[in-house]
Amino acid sequence: MNTTDPAPCFVRKQRAFLLSDDSALRDMLLSMWSSDWIEFTVFERGRGAIEYLFNDPPDLLVVDNRLSDISGAEIANLVKSENVYRQLPVVLVLDHDDMGSPWDWASVEVDDFLVRPFSDSEARDRINLTLCRATRAMDANPLTKLPGNTSIIQRIQSLIDKEQDFALAYCDLDYFKSFNDKYGFSRGDEILMMTARVIVNTIKSFGGSGNFVGHVGGDDYVFIMSPDEVEQACQRIIATFDAIVPNFYDASDRKLGKIVSKDRQGLVREFPIMAVSIAVVFNIDGRLKHFGEASAIAMSLKKKAKENPESCYVLDRRN
Amino acid sequence: MEDLKTSVKGQVLAIQDLPTLPGVLDEVTKLVENPETSTEEIANVIGKDQVLSAKVLKMVNSPIYGFPGRISSIQHGLVLLGFNVIRGIIISTSVFDMMVQAMQGLWEHSIGVATASNIVARRAGFDDPEEYAVAGLLHDLGKVVTAVQLPELHESILNTAKEKNLSYYKAEKHVLGFAHDRINAWLARHWHLPGNIREAMSRHHSPHMAELYKSTACVVHLGDFMVRLFEFGNSGDDQTAYLRPEAMKELGFKMSDLERCMDELADQLLDVSDMSF
Repeated sequence: MNTTDPAPCFVRKQRAFLLSDDSALRDMLLSMWSSDWIEFTVFERGRGAIEYLFNDPPDLLVVDNRLSDISGAEIANLVKSENVYRQLPVVLVLDHDDMGSPWDWASVEVDDFLVRPFSDSEARDRINLTLCRATRAMDANPLTKLPGNTSIIQRIQSLIDKEQDFALAYCDLDYFKSFNDKYGFSRGDEILMMTARVIVNTIKSFGGSGNFVGHVGGDDYVFIMSPDEVEQACQRIIATFDAIVPNFYDASDRKLGKIVSKDRQGLVREFPIMAVSIAVVFNIDGRLKHFGEASAIAMSLKKKAKENPESCYVLDRRN
Repeated sequence: MEDLKTSVKGQVLAIQDLPTLPGVLDEVTKLVENPETSTEEIANVIGKDQVLSAKVLKMVNSPIYGFPGRISSIQHGLVLLGFNVIRGIIISTSVFDMMVQAMQGLWEHSIGVATASNIVARRAGFDDPEEYAVAGLLHDLGKVVTAVQLPELHESILNTAKEKNLSYYKAEKHVLGFAHDRINAWLARHWHLPGNIREAMSRHHSPHMAELYKSTACVVHLGDFMVRLFEFGNSGDDQTAYLRPEAMKELGFKMSDLERCMDELADQLLDVSDMSF
């Protein structure tokens, strides 16, 4: 059994709970990964583990359906019924006899299962796959499927730690809220999808291998790319966005070049066609130490970019 | 006749692959293989092919991308889809192996109408003439679908047109009970194409009946008329074209406007006819 090679898609060491009194299973799992990659905490009883699970949820839960005090399925459901723990990947361990009739996976919401007798290599790869799948799925924005905050922060911090030069751009939309208010959120979502496509395809067209696009949420996006190309990328995003966004307005509003709607105080106000503002922070020669600095600089730049009602970008030139 | 309509509609909407002519496909394939190519260059070439254009608009307006019915420009479609998807569309497009000769006339006619619609839209003072060109390009797509999905009926329509000396449109009604404008309407709705393109596809023979985008239907109607007058390409018959006065009125056109457009089209068709089909 290969115990030294790191599993390919773990970004960091994974903490796993094993709930089982089967010592053979425990020995098998513990021998599969170096504890630098997956560190198992073993509980022989189910009930006692629940509080630990809730207080300090691991990255993976392997639970034996054979537990003497509570069924594995019950524990899985306990975890999955609460949105805070819902994302925690759960692997249920079954006996061959448990497989006689089909399981109702809609009521037992586990992510995968292992069946005795185990094939070691299959068990290893199923768990690796479950962890990879969870990392992919967990942080994606549900609308655009772009990586969300956790991935964004990890990416930025790891580039900072490696002292790698990069440009980090924060994009957001001007007058998105008034568009949403007037046309409704499903048309607002269309705008968010369109913006995501514009940013992703523009960044992809530069072809750099380290490029990254994330969706912070709402109308906020970030992208990371080489400092040499970022200005050109901003220009292209702006040109494309400005050309496409009028198609999402009603013809009459497009003709007017603005929308008229009531604000919170009930006053009639006019809002221009949406625009995109981009604030770009550079990390050159290891200037930044923490991702928090990057986002703080970006937020102050964004204010500057927002003063311009048209699409524009602002570069942080303090290098 | 209702039965034929139901079965034909099913077959039409079930279409998996619209084949195209080899020329444009080869050209686009070369462009897409080169990483230096800009989307603008690809858009220019795809914009000359009704089938590839229809595929791009169908895909970018599909609910998967989350904004159905919004995009009517090929260039915007390409930017939003990205290179990988475009490459996928190109790879999965086959070529007409039979009847290339017969289809060639329709391709020439379609690009002629795209060119003419652009000219008419500009003359009428409309913004975004490129969108009218796309509508013109796609106005006879239903005929391609008939040729591919219903080859026997297609054959019978062509024979009827010849034998009874009818227009292709009338021959379609004779054989099917309805015509390509109806087929276009099914496709455009099924594919979530934007309203202006849908209306031009389904109302270019009866622009006065258009409801929401009358101007697009009228522009394409005029474009179709002009190209048939020049006998550029072939859309299935050799009948004289008709012009609905309502379309001229809707666009605020006098005969002199039409003449100006005809002159401009004459020049541009020379360039278009240099294209290899």
